[in-house]
Amino acid sequence: MRIEIDKDLCCGAGTCVLLAPDVFDQNDEDGTVILLDATPGAEQRAAVEEAVVRCPTAVISIM
Amino acid sequence: MGRLVTGLQTARTVLGDTRFSSLPAGKRSPVKVPGSELSTDALPPGMFVNMDPPEHTRYRRLLSKHFTIRRVRELRPRIQEMTDRLLDEMESADGPVDLVQAFAKPLPTLVTSELLGLPETDRAQFGQHVDVLFSLSSSGEEMQQSMMGLGGMLHALIAAARKDPGPDILGRLTVETDLTDEELLGITIVLLIAGLETTTNMLALGTYALLRHPEQLAALRADWSLMDDAVEELLRYLSVVQIGPIRVAAEDFEFEGQSIRKGEVVTVSLPAANRDPLGFDDPDSLDIRRGATRHVAFGSGPHQCMGHHLARLELSIGYESLLRRFPRLELAVPAEEVGTREMMVTYGVLGLPVRW
Ligand code: SF4
Repeated sequence: MRIEIDKDLCCGAGTCVLLAPDVFDQNDEDGTVILLDATPGAEQRAAVEEAVVRCPTAVISIM
Repeated sequence: MGRLVTGLQTARTVLGDTRFSSLPAGKRSPVKVPGSELSTDALPPGMFVNMDPPEHTRYRRLLSKHFTIRRVRELRPRIQEMTDRLLDEMESADGPVDLVQAFAKPLPTLVTSELLGLPETDRAQFGQHVDVLFSLSSSGEEMQQSMMGLGGMLHALIAAARKDPGPDILGRLTVETDLTDEELLGITIVLLIAGLETTTNMLALGTYALLRHPEQLAALRADWSLMDDAVEELLRYLSVVQIGPIRVAAEDFEFEGQSIRKGEVVTVSLPAANRDPLGFDDPDSLDIRRGATRHVAFGSGPHQCMGHHLARLELSIGYESLLRRFPRLELAVPAEEVGTREMMVTYGVLGLPVRW
């Protein structure tokens, strides 16, 4: 699984961080997403898929 | 006339599609809404809720750092302290108290005021202005007056923050950004209004909902680890933002098989979307175990509530502390005598007499 994020559109809601803290973090300066792990293991799949659905600006995708 | 969105998926799509503009020009509400009588040029700059990207993004980025998960989690001990103090006071009164006045209103007021650096002496007056601005029965004139009263108070607050910036959000914004006083005013109004009314109504209405569903309340009392799920389900089930978000089509385009014309007004019903049977099984029942995380109670898209982590924290601390403190909490009047805020932008109870 490889994750891509369109950072320009991230609104800094941090929902992804809530769901998958090992994969996503939030920038302390502007709240935007930081991708900690672009190719996480299968054990993260469910959490990342949930983040894809719940990201309010729909900027996370799994390639 | 306009369109109303009631489906969960379409609500998300519309709110995430900036061809549906948030600019105030041409926005009309399907019902009379506070603020709709204000001329749009009376809105100060910085009211980012009425902006589209990229202007909106700029404000959002300057503010988001104050609402990240990390930042919000640091507030937990302080919010717990404020909660416990309010509950101490409530407990020391015997007999029924109105939970709205004793708890649901003061808690978000304390939290938001402290975050913004609003002095205690200003809080009561401030609350009165907000009440007027949120009431559907206020006249345009009353609103204009409250808007001005609030503006005066906040201008003084901003001037004080510039002189002697504190650790609060306003203090930080004066030091770390080049926002003008006018912009800070708009931002502060948005944060105050967003932070207060909604959380107050969720606290009171959520407690009411739990008291009316004893089996749900018992399940929660038996297992406090259900608290986060309960908060999500109450957010979904109650959807206190009753009217809007409202958008205006910025161009002609095809959307989900329909021709949208420039200037058309589209209103999204969050309560309807949150009870969409395609999104939730048996949507009209309250079920704290359903894991209702995909609701749109905070909206969706770039304008989704920036304070959602904070709201969730206030609600989970608030409900749990209240219910733990009063193991026998109950309504002090028959349930049908509890009045609801039918004619308000945010749904809630008018008062909630409780005893324990
Ligand atoms: S959930 Fe989406 S919008 Fe929010 S921080 Fe993560 S990527 Fe950004």
